[in-house]
Amino acid sequence: MGSVKLQARILAVFLLLLGGGSIAYQLLVQKVPLTQDEKDPVWVVDAQVSFTARANKPIKVRMFVPPQGAGYTTLNESFISNNYGVNVNVEKGNRQVTWSARRAEGNQYLYYRLMLTPRFAQTRENEPGPQFRPAPVLDGAEKLAAEALLQPIRQHSADVETFIGETIKRVNELENDNVQLLLGGDVSPENRAQVVDLLLAMSHIPAQPVHTLRLVESQEQQPELWLRTYNGKRWLYFNPLDGQQGLPEDRLVWWSGNESLLNLEGGRSANMTLSVHRNEMSALQLARSLRLQDASSFIDFSLYELPLPSQQLFRILMMIPVGVVLVLLIRSLVGMETLGTFTPVLIALAFRETQVIWGVLLFTFITAIGLSVRSYLEHLKLQLLSRLSIVLTFVVILMAVISLLGYKLGVSSGLSVALFPMVILTMVIERVSIVWEERGGTQSLKVALGTLVAAVLCHLLMVWQPLVYFVFTFPGVLLCLMAVMVLMGHYRGYRLTELMRFRAMVER
Amino acid sequence: MFWSKTRKALRARGVMGINQRNGDYILRYNKRSLYPLVDDKLQTKKMALDAGIRVPELYGAIATEQGISTLHRVVETHRDFVIKPAQGAGGDGIMVIADRFEDYFRSASGRIVTTEELEHHISGIISGIYSLGGHRDQALIEYRVRSTELFNRISFEGVPDIRIIVLQGYPVAAMLRLPTRQSQGKANLHQGAIGVGLDLSSGVTLGGTWHNQKIERHPDTANAVAGLTVPDWEECLELAARCYDLTGLGYLGVDLVMDREFGPMMLELNARPGLNIQIAMDDGLLRRCRVVEDHLDSLGDIRRPASERIAFSKKHFAVAGPVPVSEPAPAVTP
Repeated sequence: MGSVKLQARILAVFLLLLGGGSIAYQLLVQKVPLTQDEKDPVWVVDAQVSFTARANKPIKVRMFVPPQGAGYTTLNESFISNNYGVNVNVEKGNRQVTWSARRAEGNQYLYYRLMLTPRFAQTRENEPGPQFRPAPVLDGAEKLAAEALLQPIRQHSADVETFIGETIKRVNELENDNVQLLLGGDVSPENRAQVVDLLLAMSHIPAQPVHTLRLVESQEQQPELWLRTYNGKRWLYFNPLDGQQGLPEDRLVWWSGNESLLNLEGGRSANMTLSVHRNEMSALQLARSLRLQDASSFIDFSLYELPLPSQQLFRILMMIPVGVVLVLLIRSLVGMETLGTFTPVLIALAFRETQVIWGVLLFTFITAIGLSVRSYLEHLKLQLLSRLSIVLTFVVILMAVISLLGYKLGVSSGLSVALFPMVILTMVIERVSIVWEERGGTQSLKVALGTLVAAVLCHLLMVWQPLVYFVFTFPGVLLCLMAVMVLMGHYRGYRLTELMRFRAMVER
Repeated sequence: MFWSKTRKALRARGVMGINQRNGDYILRYNKRSLYPLVDDKLQTKKMALDAGIRVPELYGAIATEQGISTLHRVVETHRDFVIKPAQGAGGDGIMVIADRFEDYFRSASGRIVTTEELEHHISGIISGIYSLGGHRDQALIEYRVRSTELFNRISFEGVPDIRIIVLQGYPVAAMLRLPTRQSQGKANLHQGAIGVGLDLSSGVTLGGTWHNQKIERHPDTANAVAGLTVPDWEECLELAARCYDLTGLGYLGVDLVMDREFGPMMLELNARPGLNIQIAMDDGLLRRCRVVEDHLDSLGDIRRPASERIAFSKKHFAVAGPVPVSEPAPAVTP
């Protein structure tokens, strides 16, 4: 007996781990939305390039676009232009689009639109970078100034990370003579970054400028310059203006290197505006639209693969174990009596079609009438089988009358009785009347009431949308429910009603 | 807070709950294939007769609608008799005929019953109204047990019976079930009968229970229920203990009746005996069952004869005496 108990417990733990594991995998790795109405931000980045074409010259516009899969998932990317050839190439981790045309006249407009979402994204790319670079050769005053600056930096730093931070701090002390000399009067962020880069190069620390975009609602923004370096494990990002370390979550790496965003040949007065908008999309919809482009979406091998009618059916079927567990708990923990074992679950399913209020009314009314007919037939001393047959026929007539009346009076469509609820109701009446025959009126009323309460609870649980979504999306829940069922099979504690029943034994 | 306190108190008293009874006793000791032996009273009766266990005499059994017409021949020679379903549960469907009055019958409660009514009742039994699960059934017509004078003081109509719970052949608990006006002469607690605990060692009545409450007097006769001694108690225990050997069911409820002329008779057996006996005894079944189980563990595979098992139970479940849990098996000679 003991070994059997242990075995059951191990089975339950195994089921729980399996079910919980699959849910955790779906949630954490596949990033499946936890609830149906979970909304995800969708960032829409719009870039507009305008320029004036030079007459009779071939035109070539090159623009950097964000690399794919860097902390965000690309939902949609489009290049819009009139009569231009579009070509995208990837080089040293950067993506660049090239619009080209043989001839064009007047003002030209090119558009680029990118839709991004943080969900289902891979982790940020981690391709290694260089860890050493040769020092550039400087001479004269610049060499002196650089060395003068590096001296205290070296003293105040412990490793590459703090060294870079300290360097940025020093370079931004604009009143420092050495800094002024190195900057040469140009205090733009780019130039400051260049000076920082120079100082780092003197110490053989490789650094790379990266241009980032802020994902906030904005009409016009300029790419923000950051410096990054590879420390052997991951990239470290630094803001060259204030030494802040670490790229904030809302930054999107656009491109790296010293080249400018836009490169125009065969045109002039190029202008570019970048704007960012935030949209929302339900996570589920997102997954569906992603699926069209990406085969590794969680939708594969899930119930969402089924055709829609089967999906609808499984939304109901998958909830049956939930109702069953509820009945199990009601019976074993609370000790409420119900008809049959899982009749409440069946009645709950019938309530789906009649709606719960009408269902309860119909159930009570028809059962009551059916039972009173039954008691009259008992008075006539009819045999059991013919008595039950008459009751069932009467129930069918009653339902027909109710439906007809409801239809004629236009009371409610809820009164229309479908086949399934009718079959279940008839079955319930048969069972209640058998209980009545065997155990008497009070007992049958008690059981019928218990069944009704359990059925209503089951119904409410089984149509609760967040739960339906959860069970349907994470079928591992069923394994967890099975673990509960296994454990309940060895539950030996008192039922709640028993505490009432044996109360006399603890009263002194 | 209230719940956990009650829970703890019940556990401390060794009270058995339904879940525990189903899982640890019925499921464990009662093989499903043996159920028909006790669910069908006709089979039980035949088996008991073969083993020499006294049962109420069977006058006849009716299994078909055509057979109903033979009723008058079956009861011809008897003034009084009982009609009951062979597979009934909880005392339902039992009709007690105490006397005849010209062409009519008189029920135990004094109501006049026509032959048609009797036949309708039998037809109901055959079609399975009272059987578990509504299967077709047989109607048994048998000897009407007449209660001893002693019990008449504390029961209302009907015949009191004695329920003894037997675990692996060891009687662990016993109660006297007394019909009331509300139970309409039936001795089933859920129909309103009274349960009165019995001291296993002496057969003396203890306190009573009615509708899950403790009571001291019979609600209809107002006589105190405690302090009476069941006659032939030794024989009752022996009958109960032997029913285990008879059926092989390890957790068994044995129902006995005390007839005025013939003494104790086995009425029926129950493979899923109820738990209200605990309130009647004012003692937990689980505690007592554990005592027997510990004893069996210490014995190993050796089976003891009925007399030794009874001696063990009388020693350990005497109400006055202490109940030591782990004690070597007593070497009592019968």
